[in-house]
Parts: sequence; C-alpha cells; structure tokens
Amino acid sequence: MRKIMPLISFFLLINTSCEKDDFCIKNPITQSLIINFYDDSSKETLKNVKNLYVWAEGKTDSLFINQTINTITLPLNSSATETIYNFSKENVVNQFTITYNPVDEYVSRSCGYKVIFNDITFSSDNSWIIGFTPETLTTIENQDEAHVQIFH
Amino acid sequence: MYKYFISICFLFVFVDGFSQEQKIDTLINSKTDSIIYKTNYGLRLGVDISKPILAQFNSTYSGFEIVGDYRIKKNLYIAAEAGYEKETTSEDYTNSTSKGNYIKLGFNYNAYQNWLDMNNEIFIGYRYGFSLFEQTLNNYTPNVNTSYFPATTNTTPLTAMDLTAHWSELVFGFRTETFKNFFITFSGSYKVMMDVKEPENFKTLFSPGFNRIFETGTGFGFSYTLTYLIPFKKK
Repeated sequence: MRKIMPLISFFLLINTSCEKDDFCIKNPITQSLIINFYDDSSKETLKNVKNLYVWAEGKTDSLFINQTINTITLPLNSSATETIYNFSKENVVNQFTITYNPVDEYVSRSCGYKVIFNDITFSSDNSWIIGFTPETLTTIENQDEAHVQIFH
Repeated sequence: MYKYFISICFLFVFVDGFSQEQKIDTLINSKTDSIIYKTNYGLRLGVDISKPILAQFNSTYSGFEIVGDYRIKKNLYIAAEAGYEKETTSEDYTNSTSKGNYIKLGFNYNAYQNWLDMNNEIFIGYRYGFSLFEQTLNNYTPNVNTSYFPATTNTTPLTAMDLTAHWSELVFGFRTETFKNFFITFSGSYKVMMDVKEPENFKTLFSPGFNRIFETGTGFGFSYTLTYLIPFKKK
C-alpha cells in the first residue's frame, strides 16, 4: 500500500489539471464599429433609417439589405488603413469613410491575434446624413456602446 | 497555482494496512541471515529513444536526449538529462517553431524493494529544468471574426532569440534490468513552469524539455530510455 501511494497521488495531480486553452471562448476578438442613428431635430432620440442598404466600397454583397433599423455593427478592413462604406437610405447613397491605424495584438494560443484599430477618423460626404459625432476616436475597445452617433 | 495546493497535499498522504500480525511469543527464535546480496554502484548512461521514434512519425518534431544517473545510496540516484528539441506548433491562427537545448538535474528515489540481487526500480524523482531556445513565429492570421473583410496572413517570420525557461518536474517511472547492467526505463513527468521569458507581442508556446506549455504554466512529458551501467563498485 505504501508503495502504491506515490502512484495514486501522482495521477491525482495530473487529473486536476484540466486545460481549457484549446478553444477560443473570448469572442469577439476583433472589435467592430457600432453606429447608432439619431434624429437630427431631437438629438437624444434614436431614429430608424428606412430601407437601409450598407455595403463597402468595391464590394458587391451588402451587409444590410432593405432594413429599417437604428443600430448597425460594421466590421473594419484589417488589411487596409481605410474602410469606405456606402449607406443607402431610400435609394440616396451617403459615403461614410473610416480611417484608422490597425495594430495586431496577441491574445492567446487558441484566439491568436486580434486587431486593434487606433487613431480613428470619420468623414462623410453628407447627402442624407446631416452630422455625426465624434469625428475622431483613439481606439475601439469594447462592444458595449455605440462608437459613432449619426444624425439624419 | 492555488488550485494545486490540495492536490499537492495528497503527495503526503499514506495509508498503512496490516492483515496479519504475529504475536511476539509465537516467533521462532531464528538466527539473522548472514548473506548480503550486493548490487552494482556506478554511472548509468543512455539515450531516450522515444524522441527519435516520435520524430519519425511526426514531421513537425525532432529531438534527441541523453540521460545519466549516479547511485549515491541504496535507493537514491542523482539524475540528469540533456537534449535538443525542435517543434512546430500549428494553432488555428498562428504557426510557430521553437528549438533549443535543455538540461535537467535532480534525483530519483527507488521505492521498489528488490528480491535477492535484482536491480529493478519503481522510482519517483524531482528535476529542475532549464532551457535556452529561440521561437520563430512563422506566420499568423489575425482573428477578425468576419468573412466580409478576410484577414491577410502575415508570412514574415519573426524570431525571438535567447528565450529561457526554468521549471520543476515530478518524475514517476519504472526501470528494469533486462541484461546484465543494461536497463530499460519508462517514465512520465508532470512539470510546473517557474519562469519563462516571453517574446514581444507573442507567447512561448513550446519550450524544449518542457513540451507544450499549457495556459496554467503546466506541462507533461514521457520518456523511454535505454541505459547501460558502468559499474564502479559492488556493495
């Protein structure tokens, strides 16, 4: 009995060390840009955009097709320093440009690298968009709240 | 580390059981046995053949290890291992290669009571391990969770030189003398990382001698060694 105890204790030690680094459970790793649409006449109230189509410049497939919503989440192109989106409201197209500085940051074995977007600048050619705030953002850190408010 | 404290306590637990016991007055008054079986003391040297075999079946791995021990007491051996390992780790988003040398120093305690002059062992041991290595990030793809803008794979290799790792190892194994002075050993080990130098904006995923480094800084290893004992004296 005394001889078998080191063996038993050794395997007890092994069994307690279940590892959980095989799956990435921290999604989303790379943050997206969240935009809220507000009423320009009363800047505190959300206002739906009617018949909204959203696609990136140069892309043929749209992220949003004919929707009436007030919040959209858009991915940014990690292999460029600029993403240009076309927002179409009732067939009027407004171009919205986001420029940034993407930095790869290591997260973990299973999650790999995430992309952090720094020094973000927004611009718009204002066809149906009247204004937006803020114009610059240091970084996109979380998905808890909207990063940009657009007034229309 | 705290979650292992309870488990470590089990190392010090033992249970004694007796099913037969002879009363003192029934003992036969016998003379003590005067024959002492002598066993060899000396330096034992060999190689770990599991590593070259593993390299045959696994193209991402290569390794070599020499082992040695020296018997200082009836049941106590000073043990050391030294080797070279190279391993390519393929993960979902990264691919990296670690290569370098390592050395492990420690002791083995033989818990097996041999018959006559036999020389077999069931041993437990401790090792302190040190490795000096480099890790190259061969390529990586940022995890962007979107198919709308697929991430571009970065294929510029990035090498972090002069990485070091220090760890502690608990060893458990079996050793048999198959021919005179020739031993076959199978052993497994549980390792706990004490200190590891991480590359900038990356992590050490594999350390030579330690194997894969799990998230909690632990690791496992096994070896199958062939050793030859150079006898110095008998006692």
